[in-house]
Amino acid sequence: METKFSDYFSFKLVWQRMPELIKKIPITLELAGLAFLVSLFVGLLLAVARYKKIKVLGAVATGFLSIVRGTPMLIQLYVAYYGIPAVLRIFNSLGANIDVNIIPKIVYAFIALGLYQSAFTSETIRAALESVDKGEIEAAYAMGMTYGQILKRIIIPEALENALPGIDNSIIGLIKGTSLASTCGIIEITYQNQILAGRDYRYLEGYVALAIIYWAITIILERIFKVVEKRVRVPDKPADATAAGLSAQQPGISVSRA
Amino acid sequence: MSILKIKNLHKRFQNNVVLDGIDLEVNKGDIIGIVGPSGTGKSTLLRSINLLEKPEEGTISLDDITVELPLRGGNRKNITELRKRTGMVFQKFYLFEHKTALENVMEGLVTVRKKTKKEAEEIALKELESVGLLEWKNHYPKHMSGGQQQRVAIARTLAMKPDIIFLDEPTSALDPELVTEVLGTIKKIADEGYTMLLVSHEMDFIRKISNRVLFLDGGKIIEDGTPAEVFEHPKTERAREFFKKMNTLREPDYYI
Repeated sequence: METKFSDYFSFKLVWQRMPELIKKIPITLELAGLAFLVSLFVGLLLAVARYKKIKVLGAVATGFLSIVRGTPMLIQLYVAYYGIPAVLRIFNSLGANIDVNIIPKIVYAFIALGLYQSAFTSETIRAALESVDKGEIEAAYAMGMTYGQILKRIIIPEALENALPGIDNSIIGLIKGTSLASTCGIIEITYQNQILAGRDYRYLEGYVALAIIYWAITIILERIFKVVEKRVRVPDKPADATAAGLSAQQPGISVSRA
Repeated sequence: MSILKIKNLHKRFQNNVVLDGIDLEVNKGDIIGIVGPSGTGKSTLLRSINLLEKPEEGTISLDDITVELPLRGGNRKNITELRKRTGMVFQKFYLFEHKTALENVMEGLVTVRKKTKKEAEEIALKELESVGLLEWKNHYPKHMSGGQQQRVAIARTLAMKPDIIFLDEPTSALDPELVTEVLGTIKKIADEGYTMLLVSHEMDFIRKISNRVLFLDGGKIIEDGTPAEVFEHPKTERAREFFKKMNTLREPDYYI
């Protein structure tokens, strides 16, 4: 019997696989979203500890970053998956009463993913905090603002512009990182594909469909990021042309019109 | 009537003594020019009075607010109170890059003076008008020239109606052709009766605008008098030498 190309690869099957995979997109997004919140919160803490040079916390943060950046995410997922229940059992043996089996698997996954990403997010945030001109902070102090007010009204809005591209990257990294969560037994899109392919052995079509889905999610996110970044950034050009036109009548005053 | 009293102010950076027991009384309405060689503590003096630098020893009193050094816990609140009643203009302007000219001037009014947005905007617009930048209100600092940025910074300071204004080399970072517009603005606020401490290398300007001149050297005030006294009849050799150098710089290289 003659073999056809469609025996090896069928576009039709790629297409047919889609609806079943798309059904699990909410799980992927939920996992990435929760992990993102963890990474942002922990990342911010680590960043502030290092930015403000808080002694003990800063050292703990540095050690944590070293470990997280120096080990593969897959290993961290396994450690969280087996390690968190083990720790809880130790607590139980000491008299606590926690039902280990009641904790949903997704908890292990988003904690591990979030902690992993927080190491990178914290460096993004720290660099952004440090990029804020010390002089502006002094100017704010000089007019009688408190550190809390300065943080809220001067430092964070300015740091945000510099941190956004890095934060966007970490969200995209997390979306793709969720595919590893299948190892914790969470049925997100990648695991869903394993299950479906297990029935018809059409792995290749499944993975191609998956790639398309991840890609599509990323493209949509990038579009959103672009809009957000534009809103946060100081525009490159002066706001209204009439005021800029004044420069022509005032010799010696130059306007940069990039 | 004295408004600002400084007693025995000491500040050092590592082993380098920058302020060596400064005593100073400033009267309301005084416009004091501070001159002297580089690195003698002129800027540090201003920055110490509003506690941007932390002197090791001394007392700073502004009206009824007193900050005793070295700093102890309870003093923190006094620092903020003192800063609320002083204004500072920096060499490099330090406008808030993420805010428009108008928002820069409004910032302190809203957060420190607790004005409503509407009140703050009214005041800010008036101040921007008085420095001649009303049409630039919606521009961000990076779209303005150095001179314009410094005028916005001055408007930002004036909007707070401070009891005393510190100007730390306000024209040193500007292109020569932009210096005039900023000096003009400073002259204007001097005429409005503000109390000012001005660190500058613009000797002619200081001579014209101030009623008292201090000469700092080695962390000490070594000359203190009217501009005529200090510039024309300095008592110390160090000041004479300094002014002589400043004058020689202005002479042509060659005579025919």
